[in-house]
Amino acid sequence: MKIFEVWSGASQHTVKSAIKTTNKAFRPRGNTATFVQVLLAGAVAIAMAITGCTKKRFDANDNTLNIGIRANVKGLDPINANDMYSATVIAQIYEGLVEYNYLKRPFAVQPAMAEALPEISADGLTFTFKIKKGIKFHDNPAFPDGKGREVTANDFIYSWKRLADPRNTSEGWWILDGKIKGLNEWATAVKAEKADYDTPVEGLQAPDSHTLVVKLTGPYHQLMNVLTMPFAAAVPKEAVAKYGKEFLNNPVGSGPYMLKSDKDWVRNSKITLQKNPNYRPATYPTEGMPGDAEAGLLADAGKSLPFADKLVFTEIIEDQPRWQNGLKGNFDYFDIPKDNFDSTIKDGKLVPELQAKGIKLHIDPSLDVTYIGINMTDPMLGKNKALRQAMSMAFDRETQIKKFANGRGIPAQGPIPPGIAGYDDSYKNPHTQFSVEAAKAKLAEAGFPGGRSKDGKQLEFTYEGGSDSTARQQAEFFAQRMDAIGIKININANSWPQLQEKIKSKKAQLFGIAWGADYPDAQNFFQLFYSKNAPPGPNDSVFTNAEFDKLYERSLKLKDSAERTALYHQMRDIVANETPWIFISHRTGYRLTHGWLNNFKWTEVGYDYPKYWRVDAKKRAELGQKL
Amino acid sequence: MIGYAIRRILYMIPILFGVTILTFTLFNVFGGDPARRYAGKHATEEQVQVIRAELGLDRSLPAQYVYFVKQIATFDYGRSWASKQLISTMITDGIGATLSLTAPAFAASTIFCILLALFSVYGRGTFFDRGIVVTCLGLMSISSLVYILALQYLLAFRGGMFPISGWDPSWAGRWEYLTLPWIIMFVLSLGPNILIFRTVIMDEAFQDYARTARAKGLAEKHVYAKHILKNAMIPIITVVVIEMPVLISGSVLIENFFGIPGLGGTMIKALNDSDFPVIKAFTVMSAVVYMLFNLLSDLLYSAVDPRVKLG
Repeated sequence: MKIFEVWSGASQHTVKSAIKTTNKAFRPRGNTATFVQVLLAGAVAIAMAITGCTKKRFDANDNTLNIGIRANVKGLDPINANDMYSATVIAQIYEGLVEYNYLKRPFAVQPAMAEALPEISADGLTFTFKIKKGIKFHDNPAFPDGKGREVTANDFIYSWKRLADPRNTSEGWWILDGKIKGLNEWATAVKAEKADYDTPVEGLQAPDSHTLVVKLTGPYHQLMNVLTMPFAAAVPKEAVAKYGKEFLNNPVGSGPYMLKSDKDWVRNSKITLQKNPNYRPATYPTEGMPGDAEAGLLADAGKSLPFADKLVFTEIIEDQPRWQNGLKGNFDYFDIPKDNFDSTIKDGKLVPELQAKGIKLHIDPSLDVTYIGINMTDPMLGKNKALRQAMSMAFDRETQIKKFANGRGIPAQGPIPPGIAGYDDSYKNPHTQFSVEAAKAKLAEAGFPGGRSKDGKQLEFTYEGGSDSTARQQAEFFAQRMDAIGIKININANSWPQLQEKIKSKKAQLFGIAWGADYPDAQNFFQLFYSKNAPPGPNDSVFTNAEFDKLYERSLKLKDSAERTALYHQMRDIVANETPWIFISHRTGYRLTHGWLNNFKWTEVGYDYPKYWRVDAKKRAELGQKL
Repeated sequence: MIGYAIRRILYMIPILFGVTILTFTLFNVFGGDPARRYAGKHATEEQVQVIRAELGLDRSLPAQYVYFVKQIATFDYGRSWASKQLISTMITDGIGATLSLTAPAFAASTIFCILLALFSVYGRGTFFDRGIVVTCLGLMSISSLVYILALQYLLAFRGGMFPISGWDPSWAGRWEYLTLPWIIMFVLSLGPNILIFRTVIMDEAFQDYARTARAKGLAEKHVYAKHILKNAMIPIITVVVIEMPVLISGSVLIENFFGIPGLGGTMIKALNDSDFPVIKAFTVMSAVVYMLFNLLSDLLYSAVDPRVKLG
């Protein structure tokens, strides 16, 4: 799951300009420069003598998958898998009942620890899961003989109660909050010390050791999606009992990889996971999408998973060292930082120099939307639809995407990103088409010709954004666009908690933000406009529209179908017309892989992909020499 | 001197009290709402209230402050709000990495810079002296980010002389990863250190006692080695000892660029996350370290200069 973020992402340092400055600074300028050079050369010579400069490259027998991540892993407890980097590592150690099919698009849920997809009662409220027999937790001293015991239905009941337990303050509780009969009541009773983990919950029953019956309070068609998330993974109560609050540092799951020793996790630096020798029987998918076979994605069809013997996650906060490590082959796949994009991609293709090294480019749409939220409780903005529409029309999305994302994205016409049912490629939102003239006319219609009210007062609003340099530049760009139609924008730069506070307390007038999908269903985006989700819920704009609410509530009762998609389109049209957001973009991910990495298909949801990736160690040893 | 030290340590209490008041006030005014931050994007008002209670934010401000003071007195800072890790472990995990990055570079730079400053003053007005001053100004006028980016790119990525980044927790393995960061830290400290030490030594070089020594016919190198350097040590110690706490806070940029899991990065993350328990622990720790090093520098005065009487 992605936490929502300020559009820009992490701050970027402009390496090119920095290096240019450096070159200038070190250009020989008589004796001064010579002295610096002598000093540097001396220091380097000493350093080289200490370290030695030969470094062996790649071992042809080393079946390790190396992944670089841009943030530090906080902890390894599934109920706290609330940032995508911690979640990625957690998803290798823990598993749930279901997972996404690796190759199918749109994303389809398939059984993981469940034997099959659940039996669903006629009213859609009872889900019966059969759990595969013989799946074992990782060997760990938490178990009586140190050997991992079998996973049973009760482990899921225990794990989901743990998620619900208010004392655990899990950010993942929303996936089941109010959805399972009796679970909220149990949580309240636990808080009041009137219940414990042995107290039964009506909606979570285990008629036998390998059958789990889940009873819902109402229709919840996203249940299967949320059960793929690490929050819903099975944890053994023995391990929680043994390690207590330190369970987050002593993970015991049943996933394809395991943390063998505490020494394998160097905090804020590197996590090394070993293949779980007792992993359940799992195989690479035998069917894919058109084009997958040609792309070599079915070459390993039916083979046993996982492929790699070892997984190494290296945490590097800064873009440049992560990029350089990627180019050197120290990571098997890597992103392209904003500052290196122009020198890496020409005309949408990877530059020949990198192609010659066997590096491949993968372009995939991100399931997200970036936007400027408008506070609908604001007396001026909330009450004047034409004003909101004018602001949206005055915003130049193409330039924004080009300037701040190297063109990696498409202008957003509505909340649904491409790749999700309900996205319509041909749809054009009349209020996202950039035209200063049309925006000015709309502003006049709103009662503010030239951005001024009848008494001559200029329209003035405050924009709340992030504090890093890119976020500030984006804020300036927005202010410039609004200035073109006569609206003055004051900019506030905020830390993330400050921005959150302003939005959630409805103090922000306009705010730059983004939303990434938790699961591939447009409902995840439309919930952001549902009046009952007003702050602190996710409806940050406090959008309230009775017709939208009615349609949203109807859509919740429907499975993915033509009828539901039609409802989604109606909801999109209401949002487009009311303009509680100035839609900006759906981003596109550009990723690179080395020639030795097989089976790479990017997945925007689900974090279990490393088990499908296969490293050709011999090829790595060969190609690695060129890097 | 012992009485003086005890008195100074007692003075630390009211100063620490001031630091806690300031930290607490600043956090509550500018820190945003941590409960909303940690309740997540889907939270209901009820969940925010639960989180607020779990974080202890539902108590009155005076009660929260008393709890803060209690934590200082018991050295128990609890767990980070963001990562739920024990703060004491976060500090012990990070301090080794930070010190192994900063301490050797600091020690080497201090000795090298004092010597170079001494030679510079010895040859004052010469081409060598002027060259040093100009070079120092040149070194200082370039952003530290440029040194990091350029040297990492040229020496590690292009030259392959060092690993680009990384860390090995074993003492034997970490030097390989630390060498380039040391070089950068060393180069970064040259400019300011040499100029400060040169000014200090220059001040001493024309004092009456130096003239007397010269008048007695003492060789110039002995005047510098035995008299000037000794007398210059008081201001030098002040500068060096006051800089020492920085060894613990580390260098955020170098840590982040080289993947060194030190305390600098931990502190920045805590600030960005409004992770108050971590911020509290680091602020108090920094304040105590600064005060202790201040005391140490005062105590060292009397060791270096018998004329300085403490108490």
